[in-house]
Amino acid sequence: MTATGFALRTDGVGKRYRKGWALRDCTLALPAGGVIALVGPNGAGKTTLLRLVVGLLAPSTGTVEVLGHDVTASTPQTLSRIGFLAQDHPLYKRFTVAEMLRFGRACNLRFDQGLAERRLAKLGIPLGRRAGALSGGQQAQVALALALAKRPDLLVLDEPVASLDPLARREFLQVLMGAVAEDGVTVLFSSHVVHELERVCDHLVVLNDGRVTLTGDIDTLLTEHRLLVGPRTATDLDRAGAVVEAVHSDRHTTLLVRDGALPAAPGWQAQPVALEDLVLAYLRRPSEPSAAASSGVAS
Amino acid sequence: MTWLIWRQHRTEVCVLGLLVGLFGVALLVLGMQAHDLFPGGPARCAGEAGTSEDCAASFRRLDDGYGFVENLLAAFYLVPVVIGAFLGAPLLARELEEGTWQLAWTQAVPRMRWLAAKLAALAGVTVTLTVMFTAVLTWFRQPFDAWEGRFQYDAFDLEGLVPVAYALFAFAVATAAGAILRRSLPAFGVAFGAFLATRMAVALGARPAYATPLTTMEPVPVGGSKDQAGHRPVTGFADWMIEHGYADATGRRLSSTEYYELEDAADRAGANLNQFLHARGIQQFGVYHPADRFWTFQLIEAALFIAVAAALIAVVVWRVRRRMI
Repeated sequence: MTATGFALRTDGVGKRYRKGWALRDCTLALPAGGVIALVGPNGAGKTTLLRLVVGLLAPSTGTVEVLGHDVTASTPQTLSRIGFLAQDHPLYKRFTVAEMLRFGRACNLRFDQGLAERRLAKLGIPLGRRAGALSGGQQAQVALALALAKRPDLLVLDEPVASLDPLARREFLQVLMGAVAEDGVTVLFSSHVVHELERVCDHLVVLNDGRVTLTGDIDTLLTEHRLLVGPRTATDLDRAGAVVEAVHSDRHTTLLVRDGALPAAPGWQAQPVALEDLVLAYLRRPSEPSAAASSGVAS
Repeated sequence: MTWLIWRQHRTEVCVLGLLVGLFGVALLVLGMQAHDLFPGGPARCAGEAGTSEDCAASFRRLDDGYGFVENLLAAFYLVPVVIGAFLGAPLLARELEEGTWQLAWTQAVPRMRWLAAKLAALAGVTVTLTVMFTAVLTWFRQPFDAWEGRFQYDAFDLEGLVPVAYALFAFAVATAAGAILRRSLPAFGVAFGAFLATRMAVALGARPAYATPLTTMEPVPVGGSKDQAGHRPVTGFADWMIEHGYADATGRRLSSTEYYELEDAADRAGANLNQFLHARGIQQFGVYHPADRFWTFQLIEAALFIAVAAALIAVVVWRVRRRMI
């Protein structure tokens, strides 16, 4: 889709606020096409990273390149290729839905009004209603319709479903995934909910405490990682470099290892790991890079 | 962008336009009646309050009928401030308050273009409304200006260029405060407070010092009643008297204690105060700015407020450009 083949490349990106660093040493190369999930606990720096990606913030260190262009230049051409849905999907509350669409048309180089109207009609959202009078789920849908009507190459969503009820959440994801299938848009979205990701996403970025702790294609990550269950031991750490996490119960030790498909040692059983467990293991790891080599112990 | 700016700010623009319009109509009606008191126009009576019987009568009727309006209007130097602050406060603050800055600045309009369009449009509305307001008010005050001049606080702050400068100052403070506080209402309050404090300091401290004042010094006249002795020395009616009092024969200014001692001495001697003072070579002095400095002073004060406004807007532009918001 782009000359580089990457939707997003960051190099040594850091962002410092007055309180301190929200993001440090963030180096990513995310492929164009597909759906990328940015996962991390609250306060991990997800919103900061996404705002850097869409050019709402400027990095304190490093560079952000979106679709092959430096995003801080924020030319109309670059801006029109990026769609953004901010957290809590802000809209001009006093505008009617039709006026929100007119806003989109007035402020964009290309804006597919018909597409937006068709989407909203399918969802039964009246154009004459004030945005502030819509339900949360409908507001999210209007914001999504606006972002999609730009026909962006990259769509960035910050916690798009966090504030929605389960029904609205499902409906929103359906519309989103339908758009991905239709338009081939690259989607980058953040979430602190890990389940359901597997169904929806191709690529994963785990952010913890302002640092990227894991990034990769989800299928690859799942084949690389295995759970090894064996008799309790505190010393079997010859794979130390590959052990992501060791959990000891009374009689057993469970190791999460990243070693490709090496055979398990005698007496040990290998199991595939679920995506949620994988993410949680990485989130539990101490964020200091120096400490990452020693195996973290959790109960 | 034009449609968007209008859609976002039409409530403020309409409310302010309506207020200025109603105010203008009221003043036009009252002002026509007041002007009718001066056959041949108020300008003909400028400075004639003490000499022409007709003019004196007109001024008396003006004071009886419309003096209260003039007193009321003295507080209206705040109207331009309300206009500026009301339009400036929501410019950035409302977007930040409601999170819509993230929507506005991720469309294809670069944020600097967005900001430039908003600043130009809303500052333009501020100036337009203030000019209309000031024009009506200046016209209304013509009879009063012919009477008292334009240098008093209730005229200088309401006429000419200064109101526009006040409005732009309030607009800039409100915009900058909104960018930092991220709330419209506190930004409005900050603009209002900042204006009151600045204007107080300027009117009392800086304004008299825009140019070196002139001084008159002349002996106390023999004639005249006791009452007149304490009143202003002879300068033009429209001059701005900053300070006046008494000096001894050498020109040294007397403190009020010294003056009251002289008054007591005159009482004890049973003499006419003016004759008593005259005999001792006491002089009256006045420190003032002549009326023809009005436009110079207007220019200086307007430049002062507009310079601060420009600096604050520069800070806002810098913050938005640096993506500090």
